[in-house]
Amino acid sequence: MNTEQLIASLSADVPRVSRHAFARRIGFGIVGGMFVATFALMALLGVRPDLELAMQGFAFWMKWTYTISLGLGAIYAINRLARPVPASLRGLWFLAIPVLILAGIGIGEFASNPSSEWLGIWLSRSWKVCPWLVLGLSVPIFIGLLWSFRKLAPTRLHAAGAAAGLAAGAWAATVYCLHCPEVSAMFVLTWYSLGILLATGGGALLGPRLLRW
Amino acid sequence: MAQGEEQLKAWMLGGLDGDAAAHAALLRELVPLLRSFYGRRLGSAQADVEDLVQETLIAVHTRRAAYDRDRPFTAWLYAVARYRLIDYLRRRRIAVSLEDVEATLVEEDFELASQARMDVEALLSTLSPKQARAIRETHVEGKSVAEAAAGAGIGESDVKVSVHRGLKALAARIRGTRA
Repeated sequence: MNTEQLIASLSADVPRVSRHAFARRIGFGIVGGMFVATFALMALLGVRPDLELAMQGFAFWMKWTYTISLGLGAIYAINRLARPVPASLRGLWFLAIPVLILAGIGIGEFASNPSSEWLGIWLSRSWKVCPWLVLGLSVPIFIGLLWSFRKLAPTRLHAAGAAAGLAAGAWAATVYCLHCPEVSAMFVLTWYSLGILLATGGGALLGPRLLRW
Repeated sequence: MAQGEEQLKAWMLGGLDGDAAAHAALLRELVPLLRSFYGRRLGSAQADVEDLVQETLIAVHTRRAAYDRDRPFTAWLYAVARYRLIDYLRRRRIAVSLEDVEATLVEEDFELASQARMDVEALLSTLSPKQARAIRETHVEGKSVAEAAAGAGIGESDVKVSVHRGLKALAARIRGTRA
């Protein structure tokens, strides 16, 4: 096809692109993926039976605050990396705040318990499965974000993949909170974060292959 | 006549609002820009220039949601063009490290920009200091006529006349050297 024909066929169909199309596209990808993840969680793992009671307690909101703030930080990074012109990621230092606060709460937990209890608090019952379940739930969200990226233009593919993986991991962990009965900050800090980091690393590795255009 | 940032951006925004004619005008105008961008960088592989131009037009079309309306259009365009070039080099498995490519691209742009600046300075030096200053301030540095007038301590109409006469003299000189 010669270039003039190409231009004619491209301009035959020029849909309006709203000012919010960019944000909406990323939002749809994440929310769509979270729907699938929530459905999978309800079907395969089940929502914790005491969810309503738990939602009145501190631990549940501590966990959600942690995972949601990581998720928002990841959206900030995606926002920067999904456009071709490189933008500074300096705002990402903000991600250290939830991690440090959670670590502070965790140290408080250890301080108020005898050291013989520490291992039990840290590992609790589900440490062996928690990171893998978070990673598993992140897959549909990551796929949702791949869909988002199809109309976007990332140029730093490792970084964009990592940001998508971080978002998928953090929002998957948010969904996982509906099932997971753990209450300790050290547990969340280690095993949730490990699941989120696995998703981030996977995204960084797959980015160049899956996000290239 | 090549269109500048303002016109290109206006067409891009028109296209984003669903104006097919503006979109077509934009894509048509990008063809010579992209041909020269890739032509200069592909060396012996000139046969691939047109493919890259077309790929870039398609990318501009399908990925226009990734354009931020509040930012310059040309910077966005050349970032897309650069990415397509790097992807092309990678596909061809041409052994260059990406850092090298980026460095050459930045260097070339810098070189072009500084050559242009030197040309302008050389031309301005042939004018009277007053005319040169008026043109430099209003056309190169982007000051308003009022600011330039205040800076030089002369009237606004004086600045306008200096710019007008200076540009006329420069135009005559360029035509003279080419003819």
